[in-house]
Amino acid sequence: MRALQGLRGPRAPALPLFLLCFLAAVRRSLEDGLSTAAPFTSLPVQEEITTKYSNLSSESHNISVTAAPYTSLPVQEEMMTKYSNLSLESHNISMTAMPMKENNKGNQICVDRGIMLQRNVTLEQSNMPVEKNITLERPSNVELTCQFTTSGDLNSVNVTWKKGDKLLEDNYLVNATGSILYTQYRVAVIGSKQMGSYSCFFGEKKQHRGTFNLKVPEINGKNKPLITYVGDSVVLMCKCQDCLPLNWTWYGVNGSVQVPIGVPVNDKYVISGKHANETRLKITQLSEDDQGTYWCHAIFELGESEGHVELVVLSYLVPLKAFCAIVAEVVLLVTAILLFEMYTQKKKKPSGDGKEFEQGEQMKLDDSNGIENSGPRHRKNESVGQ
Amino acid sequence: MAYRAEPPDGGWGWMVVLSAFFQSALVFGVLRSFGVFFVEFVAAFEEPAARVSWIASIGIAVQQFGSPVGSALSTKFGPRPVVMTGGILAALGMLLASFATSLTHLYLSIGLLSGSGWALTFTPTLACLSRYFSRRRSLATGLALTGVGLSSFAFAPLFQWLLNHYAWRGALLLVSALSLHLVACGALLRPLSLAEDPVVGGPGAQITSLLRHGPFLRYTVALTLINTGYFIPYVHLVAHLRDLGWDPLPAAFLLSVAAISDLVGRVASGWLGDAVPGPVARLLMLWTTLTGVILALYPVAEAPTGLVALTVAYGFTSGALTPVAFSVLPELVGTGKIYCGLGLVQMVESIGGLLGAPLSGYLRDVTGNYTASFVVAGTFLLAGSGVLITLPHFFCFSAPTSRPQDHVTEALDTKVPLPEEGLGED
Repeated sequence: MRALQGLRGPRAPALPLFLLCFLAAVRRSLEDGLSTAAPFTSLPVQEEITTKYSNLSSESHNISVTAAPYTSLPVQEEMMTKYSNLSLESHNISMTAMPMKENNKGNQICVDRGIMLQRNVTLEQSNMPVEKNITLERPSNVELTCQFTTSGDLNSVNVTWKKGDKLLEDNYLVNATGSILYTQYRVAVIGSKQMGSYSCFFGEKKQHRGTFNLKVPEINGKNKPLITYVGDSVVLMCKCQDCLPLNWTWYGVNGSVQVPIGVPVNDKYVISGKHANETRLKITQLSEDDQGTYWCHAIFELGESEGHVELVVLSYLVPLKAFCAIVAEVVLLVTAILLFEMYTQKKKKPSGDGKEFEQGEQMKLDDSNGIENSGPRHRKNESVGQ
Repeated sequence: MAYRAEPPDGGWGWMVVLSAFFQSALVFGVLRSFGVFFVEFVAAFEEPAARVSWIASIGIAVQQFGSPVGSALSTKFGPRPVVMTGGILAALGMLLASFATSLTHLYLSIGLLSGSGWALTFTPTLACLSRYFSRRRSLATGLALTGVGLSSFAFAPLFQWLLNHYAWRGALLLVSALSLHLVACGALLRPLSLAEDPVVGGPGAQITSLLRHGPFLRYTVALTLINTGYFIPYVHLVAHLRDLGWDPLPAAFLLSVAAISDLVGRVASGWLGDAVPGPVARLLMLWTTLTGVILALYPVAEAPTGLVALTVAYGFTSGALTPVAFSVLPELVGTGKIYCGLGLVQMVESIGGLLGAPLSGYLRDVTGNYTASFVVAGTFLLAGSGVLITLPHFFCFSAPTSRPQDHVTEALDTKVPLPEEGLGED
């Protein structure tokens, strides 16, 4: 059954699109706006999720959101009550088409109703899609709202929703208030099939587009390769910042194929993890065959996420060769210095009192003493001459 | 006569300067840049940071307390064999450390073994340098000490590169090879026989006579006080800036600026120390007083420009006092006893250095900011400079600086070491 579309008229004259601004999390205002009509109560979990997913910046704005009461649809009610034990998440994208400036190039500061928002958005073409990344870890109900502001006729704007390339027929509402057009899509995300890209389109030609990317949390492996030596043991670690995966698995790469590391052979591989948000793979008795990239997969209810760690195994000979080269160079230097000294000493007449030392000085090279006694005389002449 | 009456003041002396330059780089540059290994050790041995930092602390402590040993040995055997042995020890310590399986292993190999290697190299080299120069002593010392600052710049990125390519075991192996260059530097230290050498006796006799030497003791006290306050800004400046609201990167950059002005100060003061007639102790007092005043002004400065200016000035004056501090000693005790004298001074002043930073930290914990610790550091420096006034010939504007001839003529009459050697003021 089609949702109540709201006012839709003939295609509006093409409005140059100037600004697309990201609005901050509209959680509170949206809740206020919807609390009169929404069948859900805001759960404490929501607040938690707000702070947890802080990549959705939480600047508040005071655009008053007067939501007209939404008509509940039978389909939606049914679906929502079925999954009413799940948490609710709301996300908002706002798009504006203002006929004020024709300038499409360069940075523009988004000014919406006199409020300066934080981000500058560079436009390269007039129909820049607006994207928002949403990280979901557990099954939840998700509300995606697009706001479209235009000074033209709102009734004439065509609204569509798509998941990926597939057109969505139901589960969305359209409402117009003043000069803002709202459309809201609700989906109960319970498995990986519901994850992906959801887009709202405004206009006959779908020229204004906002996209919500639903993703599982990212895993951090390590960016720099880990250097180890043959015979050593190493611990590879993958970590997830704020999430708790259901399970972790490790894969080694053989050629271009990922091979799971499962059964420990001779205790060579030990998988452990101190906390639920990290996993450690300990490899003992490293050999050069163990070199390569290792992948860790985190399994969530909503899908899988992976990170990678690169392992480099060197043999001891590698630094040893450099060490020996430098030691040889030092020996060469020392020999050269001492030889030079003996040479300069030979140039002078070796004096008979070369055996006199002061304070019983014993040197490895006895003849150097000869230099000292003839040297000072030589140097004294020098200093006198200075 | 086999012995020189005057230090050569040039000639091979400049090669000794070069050797001292590389040695201060290889000893203190390595020590200062060791923080780069710090992170790796914490991860590799899974030990807390406090325990890992003991490695460097043990190394520094052994180097400083072992200085008299190095000096005594070089009095007996000459600097060359001692420094070469020290170089081999230092490299051996690092080599063994690359096979470490526990933190204790590192304490012993880097801390104890390399530390004693460093003790045998640094002090004898500086003392040898002082024997080679008299008129240009301060300049030579200043130039040699620039090795410390320059190597800190060079070694930290180098060590990080080594770590990225070879991991810490391979990197330690290569640092060991680097430290082996101390042996080559030691080979450059041609022994010098000066006229007063046979007179002053063996190391034991020298040490006894030094310990009874009034000006020497006063000088040691002064240097200890100075040392207590000297290191505090290096340790706490960045933290103090962060307290005032600076970001980490500009704060670290300011520290680099201080290091550069430190370098400039060393060379300038070295040149000045030679150009100005009269006891060098006066210049030391000047720089120390200035540093003390600057430190005391730190809490007052709030604006960034004021802090930058103060830091540049601090870098300059604190760098300036280092070469002069080393140059005062030969004037006090004569070049014959310089090895033992320097060793004793280093050992005692290290107490000040070890106490200074924790004291400052404690004051900070008690008062909540660094005001008290900076003021206390400045006070220590001013106290040290006050003690310097008591050195002989301080206020005589026409008294000549000590020349080796004075020591020789006074001492040649007897063959036993005289306890009251020096400027003969007693």
